[in-house]
Amino acid sequence: MKWRNAAPVMALLAACAAVAPTRDPERLVPQLSFRGPSMAHPFGCGEAGVDLLALVAHATLRGAALAAVVACVGLAIGAPLGAAAAMARGRIERAVDRACDLVQAFPSFLLALAVLSAVRSPNRVHLAFVFSLTAWAPFARLALAQTRVLRGANFVEAARALGVRGPTLLTRHVLPSSLGVLAVQLGSTAGAIVVSEAALSFVGLGPRGGVSLGSILEQGVACMLFAPHVMAVGAVAIMLTSAAVIAAGRAIE
Amino acid sequence: MPAIRAVLARTLEALLVVLAMATLVFFALRLLPGDPARLLLGDQASPAELASLRAELGLNQPISLQYAHFLKGLVTLDLGRSLRHPSVPAAAMVARACVPTSELAGLAVGLAAIFGTLAAVLATGPFLGARRVWVERAAVAVASTPLLSFAPLATYVLAVRLRLAPLPGDPDAGAAGLFLASSLLALPLASHVARVGRASLEDVAKAQFLVAARARGASQARTWLLHALPPSLGPILAVVASQLGALLGGAVVLERLFERPGLGTLILDAYAARDMPVLEGAIVAAGALFVLVQVAATAAHAIVDPRVRR
Repeated sequence: MKWRNAAPVMALLAACAAVAPTRDPERLVPQLSFRGPSMAHPFGCGEAGVDLLALVAHATLRGAALAAVVACVGLAIGAPLGAAAAMARGRIERAVDRACDLVQAFPSFLLALAVLSAVRSPNRVHLAFVFSLTAWAPFARLALAQTRVLRGANFVEAARALGVRGPTLLTRHVLPSSLGVLAVQLGSTAGAIVVSEAALSFVGLGPRGGVSLGSILEQGVACMLFAPHVMAVGAVAIMLTSAAVIAAGRAIE
Repeated sequence: MPAIRAVLARTLEALLVVLAMATLVFFALRLLPGDPARLLLGDQASPAELASLRAELGLNQPISLQYAHFLKGLVTLDLGRSLRHPSVPAAAMVARACVPTSELAGLAVGLAAIFGTLAAVLATGPFLGARRVWVERAAVAVASTPLLSFAPLATYVLAVRLRLAPLPGDPDAGAAGLFLASSLLALPLASHVARVGRASLEDVAKAQFLVAARARGASQARTWLLHALPPSLGPILAVVASQLGALLGGAVVLERLFERPGLGTLILDAYAARDMPVLEGAIVAAGALFVLVQVAATAAHAIVDPRVRR
């Protein structure tokens, strides 16, 4: 563990967890609508007088949890798939490689719209499902590339000579050696999910209740002319959260 | 001709992707729990209204027949009429929305390719001396900032503070509005192009043919732009193709931010109103646009770089 890299995400999550229970993001004080920052409300107030600090704290925690879940699901599906494909070689290897290409370049935003159009108001479980549909591809791609190098390595050859086959060979010998690279990808996938979730709620497809970093940004854009602090809070929160999550991936490495 | 065969293979694959996308939209709307007619009309709808809407959408027929009908509609570009604006065919609404989105995304790809490649040449070539590391650093900084964060902030600074650009939602914005939106959309793509282009140019930089070109008296600019750049274009085109999905997602966000008409706005409106024919058509059209440009990037690569053709 490189603790220096883990510090931002720890600090961010600790701060949010400390603030979240003391402030309610659903409590509205209409006379404080779009009020600028003050001692009582350090980040100011948003639409209908919602406390932006409360909104940021709750939204960051929920967004980070969603990102962590999706990244882990992606790792759990993608890494074994990619490694197994590389061990199988030949046609399967090429097919998985090409599938990764397609899924990675595919507009995940469209996919999310297509799937979310079936539900009346999406919640975070729906979002996690939608993001997991494409989150496996980068992990599979990396595991594939790593295994291509490792499958000729002496220690894999030795394990094979000792009679280790199939899943055991993968999980005991091949995958542990590629975990470092996969951990970095864990961070960048989670960072991308934080931004995607915010983007979906920015365009109005986010979870009901509006407790999301994207909906702060949406409020902020609507009142850009007279209350620019709302937009600044939303934009900076998204930037910091995704950067902290990406750094966390380097810490695990 | 292997080049034509490669492009044909890509086209076939592209058609498969569009088909998969269309199938996914179709079945997501029909097979997942939840009755589309009830989603459209709400909980207070009477059974008679529900029944007539189901008949209108063909929801009473077996699913295989509906699917066949849907595919036939896609091929013949006859998607039925919009549910929200019953006098307008859905296909016409989708076609009209494709134009502004293509303008936005096309201009963004063009700007990103030009400025990204220029930045790559400046970061590798001898033009800036020791200052060239700053080009690379700027590219890294832009690439690691989400578009969702900096687009609203940049708009605030440029449109509200400095008054250099029209405000979002200004109907008279015209070319300036389009230019602002596509420049913002181009920034992340340009930073990717710059980074990949720099790595690709570094590989070429030591090649003998550049020394030969310099020895024949070619200027630095001529050496880098005419001799070094063409063989390094492959990875640049590949990165443009791989970023197209993100570009399309970014286009939806920017259309929302600038209140511009387009495919993204159409999809979101159709989603909010549960206008199924328009929603299906718009999502498939966006997917088709995406794979079309990807095939174009492959073909462009084959044209620019003769090594691919073999």
